[in-house]
This record gives sequence, C-alpha cells and structure tokens, in this order.
Amino acid sequence: MKMTPRERVIEAMSLRKPDRVPLMCQFSIGAMMQQLKPSPAEFWYDGRLFSVGLADLCERFSFDGILVSLHGHSPQWRDEILSIRKIEEGKEEVVFKDRTEIHSWNDLPMVKYNNKIEKKLIDDIDLSRDVPDFIDYIPVSQDLYFKVDPQYPFEIFGYLRELVGDKYSIHGEITSPFDYLLDLLGYEQGLISLIMNPEKCKKILEKFTENIADLAEKMCDCGIDAIKISSPFAGMGFISPEHYSEFVLPFESIIISRIKAKGKFTYIHTCGHIDDRLELMRDSGSSGLECLDPEPVGNVDLANAFSRIGDSMFIKGNIDSVNTLLFADDIKAYDDVKKIIETGMKGRGFILSTACSLAPKVSSQRIEMLHKMVEDIGYYQ
Amino acid sequence: MDSYIDKISFCIQKGKIDSKSPYPPEMKGEPGADELTMEALRDGLNANDILTKAMIPAMGVVGELFKEKKLFVPQVLMSAKAMSSAMHHLKPYFASGELKQKGLFIVGTVAGDLHDIGKNLVSMMIEGSGWSVMDLGVDVKSEQFIEAIRDNPGSVLGMSALLTTTMESMERSVREIKSIYPQQKIIVGGAPLSSDFAKRIGADFYAQNPQTAVEYLGNIK
Repeated sequence: MKMTPRERVIEAMSLRKPDRVPLMCQFSIGAMMQQLKPSPAEFWYDGRLFSVGLADLCERFSFDGILVSLHGHSPQWRDEILSIRKIEEGKEEVVFKDRTEIHSWNDLPMVKYNNKIEKKLIDDIDLSRDVPDFIDYIPVSQDLYFKVDPQYPFEIFGYLRELVGDKYSIHGEITSPFDYLLDLLGYEQGLISLIMNPEKCKKILEKFTENIADLAEKMCDCGIDAIKISSPFAGMGFISPEHYSEFVLPFESIIISRIKAKGKFTYIHTCGHIDDRLELMRDSGSSGLECLDPEPVGNVDLANAFSRIGDSMFIKGNIDSVNTLLFADDIKAYDDVKKIIETGMKGRGFILSTACSLAPKVSSQRIEMLHKMVEDIGYYQ
Repeated sequence: MDSYIDKISFCIQKGKIDSKSPYPPEMKGEPGADELTMEALRDGLNANDILTKAMIPAMGVVGELFKEKKLFVPQVLMSAKAMSSAMHHLKPYFASGELKQKGLFIVGTVAGDLHDIGKNLVSMMIEGSGWSVMDLGVDVKSEQFIEAIRDNPGSVLGMSALLTTTMESMERSVREIKSIYPQQKIIVGGAPLSSDFAKRIGADFYAQNPQTAVEYLGNIK
C-alpha cells in the first residue's frame, strides 16, 4: 500500500520498512537561497517567508519530510534594524546598533561586530549570570547567532502545518549542550577547558542541558515527529572517544530521554569522522543517527555502520553533498547514490539524505535525481 | 644535557606547560616546558639544540599522532601551549640571529569565510615545526594575499575554506595569485576540500590535516 510521505518517514524511524526508501535532505541556508532567490535578509528573519520556502522546496523536490533548522523568528524583526540596503542582486547589508550583517544567496550571513566579542575565561564564568536561564539563541556558526524570540519560539511549526497539513514529516532541530559550551568559551578555550577545568565544564553543560531539554520538550508539542540534535564538534576531528563519553554522551542522553518521553524520535547529527564512536552514539538512546559522512569528508562505511548499530538506530544519510552531488559527473553521482540506497535498504531503518546539508550550489537537477532514484530503485517488496 | 632535551620534548608531547599547570594530572607539580627550557639555557645548553632536538621533533610527534587520530584537538592545543612557553625563552636567540626560522608561512581564511579553527590549528603546528607564521586572519581578499606575498618573497602561502561556497573564492584567489606570481607555493585546506579540487584550481598542495602541511613544508625547503 502506498504510504504518505509522513508515514514513510515515521515507519523508517520506527525501524520498520515503509513502502519505499524515504527521502529527506536537510538544506543549508545557502541551498535554500540558491533555489528560491528570496530577499536574503527577509528569508533569514521572517518566519512566514522561511516556512513558505521550506514547504516549497519539499514539494519541489518531492522530499518526504522537512527539517526546520531555525525557529523563534520574531514578527518584530525589523524593529532593531537601523538600515537595510541592497548591495547587488541577492546581497543585502543589514545594520544593527552592534553589528553589520551581509546576507546573500551564497551562504549563511556574515556578521561583523562593531566591537570584538570577548569570551570570558572559564574561571570567571558565573553560572547564574553567564549561562542563560533559558535558551534564547541558536549558535548557528562561528560568531553567528539566531535569536529565539521567547514570545514566539515555535510559531514556525504552526505556519508549516498550515501549509502542508499532515502530508510531510516535520522535524525540529536543537543544538547540543557541547556546542553551547564551546560557543560560550570560544572554541580554543572551550576545548582546552575540557582538560584544564573539566568539573566547571560539566557544571556549565548541566545548566545548558536542563534548558535545552526544556526547549526540546516544548518543541515536541508543536506537531513535529522528531528532533535533530546538532552536535558538529563531537566527532573525531575534535575530541577523543573518552571526552565524548565524558562531555557529550551524558548530556545528550538526558535530552534524548526527555524527548522520547514525549513520544518523539531523535537523531544526532555529527559531521566528519565518527566511525570510532558509533556505539557510544547508540548508547545515548537516540532513535537515529544522521550524517555518517563517507570518505573523504568522513570515515563511515554505511554497511559497516548498519551492522554495528542498525539494529537499534535508524540511519539518515549518507550522500556526500560535495564530492557526489556538487562536483561528480552524472555517472558517478548516480552510482554513489545507488550504492547508498541498496545498502540502506538492507538495514532496518533508513532515510536517504545527504550526510551534511545540501551544499548551496548543488543543482536542481541533482536534487531531482534523488527522488527519481528512490522511485526507480527504492521500493521495498 | 641530553636529559633536558628528553624532558623538554616529553613535556611538549604531553602538553605540560609549567609546574602550575594541572595538566596532565600525572605530572602535577612537576616542572614543565617553560621551566625546563629556562634551566637548560641557564646550564649552557645550546639554544639551537633545544629547538631542533627537543621542541620541533616533539611537535612532529604530536602532529603525527593527531594525523592518526590518536591525539585530539584539546591535547594538541596543550602541546602547542607548552611549545609556546618554551619558545618564549628562545626569542632573544632569534632576535640576535643565532637561531633562524625555516621560512615564512602566510596563512588566511579566504574571502567570505569567517571560520578560523582549522587555520589556527595549522598555524600552531607549522610554527611548532620551526616556521614563522604571518596570520592574515579571516575573510581575506585576494589583494591582501597578494600584498603579503609581494612584501615577503620566498614565503609559502596557506589558504583555508570551510564552506563549499567559499571554495569559489579560494579558486579565484589562487588563480589571481598564480597569474602574478606563478612560482608562489600555495597550500590549501578545509573540510570540504579534496586533492582533486586543489589540483583543479592550481594549488600546489592539499593539506588534509596540519601534519601533512608540515611535511610538505619540510620537503620544499
């Protein structure tokens, strides 16, 4: 029996085989911009426009689900802006009191602060003053933040359901406490602090964990099916498995158990090399894993990953967005994706997706190819 | 005297900065690279021997272990700090000309890209291998790279990009630089890059990790 896109994704996340392999790639902001060509500043700040874009892209490329990577858009987003001007086609400058942002169709906004942001030393961090009592920002990238309006934290999910009804699986996204810790201290000091002041790190992580879990629980009440936990600095490129066990696993596990208690699925997204810690990631209790970057971006072999953790976790991945979708010729792109679909179909729960986000300049034709392929070769018997 | 060489090398490999540093826990209270280098110089050990027999090889070991994913960023950062604390005592020898850097490495994150984690790590490792590093920062335009090359003939240039979109500005910069300075050696690195990409844009070398950049520099001088 033919399933709806939403049913298909839920079935895979439940470690059962749907009618066919679900397809659900996460778009980078740049990829959305390249496809939609909106006013880049408005697209970043306006929740309605952002949700229309997400729904449009999902329909356009026949994906089975939508990841909402930003939430908490403020309807009053223009109030703090001193000026906004178009620099050229697809490029806008937005000036605030403390910073200037360049928004473009190319990628994430670039922010230049009037005064350099000084990070506090870990010994000077006051838990009650310096670690927020609730999460009102998303650390999107280095020195790039998305402010979460506490009055409208989850309006975007309502907008989306209005647009797509029950047809698609909608997923929210939160950021790992480990990421918030590194952002608070600065990446260099943050990583050094893991060995110089581990106990203080854990206290900071505990507070972030509690607040992120609160946020995630509330997000669960917004008609979503799953929450992605973005944890980009938890891979082999940064920390050891021992540090993963000490500073990532216990804290993400708490959040995961609280999300699962609300009846929702979770998946962890860690880019790059993660092969040495797949079992640790499974021990978090997460329903699934995303990314699993293959060589050369990462070091995960999909078949091997399924054999190690596939009995208890679904896998969402693992197309190399750069070397397969962006730079490869048609034959290599097709062959790479075919191999992933065939391997994934042997596993219990599998969603076809890019490992990391779709790179901005991946062509429409390449994205369309993915749906054609799951239709051609992705049906289970 | 050899015991100083061994001890300084060991401290750098272990990331032991000084006696006050609590890391690594098993060396708590013991002197670190800082005190040992100072003592070694006071006891008449040759500065060049400290640099070339202790410090540089120690960072080489660290880089190799990092490449093999047996050491991770926090430990590497501690080793770089220990190296830096030892290097501080060698400054007068560099100033007097008794010690010389192997060369100048100019580095920057390309235009449109504000990420500096990878660039900083590479800079530390290259500095630890005996090179002088000129860090141009992030969002570096082609003209800034060109100006730095013009002012520092014989230097090697390193470029970093973390985003697929800024790989385009990397390509632009490499082509512009090579059109003016065809002999200029350029190393590129960053998560989405590959050796194929480096070759295609005309760069001389793709450094998959800091240690391969160090090895490349070691081979061209």
